[in-house]
Amino acid sequence: MAKIDDGIHILQGLLVFGNVVIGMCGIALTAECIFFVSDPHGLYPLLEATENDDIYAAAWIGIFVGFALFALSILGIVGVIKSNRTLLLVYIILMLITYAFEMASCITAATQRDFLTPNLFLKQMLERYQKSETVNNNDKWMTEGVTKTWDKLMLQNQCCGVRGPSDWQEYMSAFRITHSDADFPWPRNCCVMDAQGSPVNLDGCKLGVPGYYNSNGCYDTISGPMNTHAWGVAWFGFAILCWTFCVLLGTMFYWSRIEY
Amino acid sequence: MCSHWVVLAFCCLGQLCADQSLKPRIAAPHLATNNPTLTTVALEKPFCMFDSSLYPNKSYVIYLYAMKESASAISSLVTDNSSKPLDSTFQQTSGGQLGPYKAALFKVPSCASPPKLADVGDINKVSAVLKQYLFRVGDDGTCLYDPNFLAVCNPPLAPDTTYRFKYVLLDSTEGIMKDQTLWSDPIKTRRVKLPLKIDTWPGRRSGDMIVITSILSVLVFLLLAGFLASVSSAVMGSDSSAETRCMSQTIQQSEPRPQLSSE
Repeated sequence: MAKIDDGIHILQGLLVFGNVVIGMCGIALTAECIFFVSDPHGLYPLLEATENDDIYAAAWIGIFVGFALFALSILGIVGVIKSNRTLLLVYIILMLITYAFEMASCITAATQRDFLTPNLFLKQMLERYQKSETVNNNDKWMTEGVTKTWDKLMLQNQCCGVRGPSDWQEYMSAFRITHSDADFPWPRNCCVMDAQGSPVNLDGCKLGVPGYYNSNGCYDTISGPMNTHAWGVAWFGFAILCWTFCVLLGTMFYWSRIEY
Repeated sequence: MCSHWVVLAFCCLGQLCADQSLKPRIAAPHLATNNPTLTTVALEKPFCMFDSSLYPNKSYVIYLYAMKESASAISSLVTDNSSKPLDSTFQQTSGGQLGPYKAALFKVPSCASPPKLADVGDINKVSAVLKQYLFRVGDDGTCLYDPNFLAVCNPPLAPDTTYRFKYVLLDSTEGIMKDQTLWSDPIKTRRVKLPLKIDTWPGRRSGDMIVITSILSVLVFLLLAGFLASVSSAVMGSDSSAETRCMSQTIQQSEPRPQLSSE
């Protein structure tokens, strides 16, 4: 009898510990997802215009799942300590639902990350940057978002185009329709700027003289934060789910052994 | 007599050799990396090309002629019968399609003091160096549409077209051509691809996504199986405990009866 009691106590202790970890991870997940949703790098308009912004949906789900995990872990701790069958049954069912949501969030983040290729951003930049004829309000909103984001990106990171300034020369674009190649082989923001925000030497920039234009592409500054975002949501969520799986199995076993 | 012929032969050979190497060249690629573009071509100015024809007390000017390569079948003459250079414009020749047009005029670049290309790194000197070293054909986008424009118009070229260029040395007082280079090698402007043709298909799935999806699916399946197992074991456990309670109750009830009947 003493051995079985000890065994039950050890199981209870493990389950309480497991739930404490779940609670803390839940808060961490909420905080991480709030950080990603706040978009510190200002890249959301680019995703919104590609209509491929599901990594943000995954982060939003993550906020609520994290909070739910925290609340449920408290319920679980109370249920295990009191050995209450009803509480534990409620805990298990709600945890299963939360598990399903978090699983959706992880898979969405990992899958949607695969769509964010350089060609996607290139096509969107060429079709939307400084597009003058917008057909409706939605188009106008997206075009303004893309234009402002690219202007800011090129200025702050000293880069030009997705792979390089040659993107503007190799492809036809909405920019090319309104800006002649003789005056604007590429947008002004691709030129090296002085402190007042005007090009250091315009002729040097137009001719492509090294040192007067930005010769590297912006893809790294776009994909870096997006990768961090997608992998942060997907892999941290995956780790939490693996841990929660073990805790849940233990709880189900514990629940089935409690006498009424 | 023989020596005269030899000298003449050498002179002719010398002229031919000089002319063979004298063509307008495209600007140095390490300096002007964006060249040629869709509608412009940056050419090196003719340094030391006309020095044999320059006399000290006369004033000279250089004309640049441009034409599409297809026009060489129609006409590639830049002077009329009296050695006066043609005054053709971009509009008159349909952008160089019917023959050469005059794209620029500038003074003879100094052979003795050529521009130092290393000075391009200096912000204060770069404008002067670029202006001295090269000329950009197709630079002026507005002169075609400006009725008040009186100078030589240098409108943008056509994309995806081959052009050839020639420098002509002119005596400004007499107005007669003194020397000319050969037509340059054909230089083609860029062509553009349509963004519609860009393929945005992401290709095969990444490893992360396959790992996450497969492992999570298996875990969810195990969780549901475990939940069903524990619920069913709980239900069966309560059934068997109810049976044993019933049985013990009936045994308890059946035991006192024999006592009552015996009394």
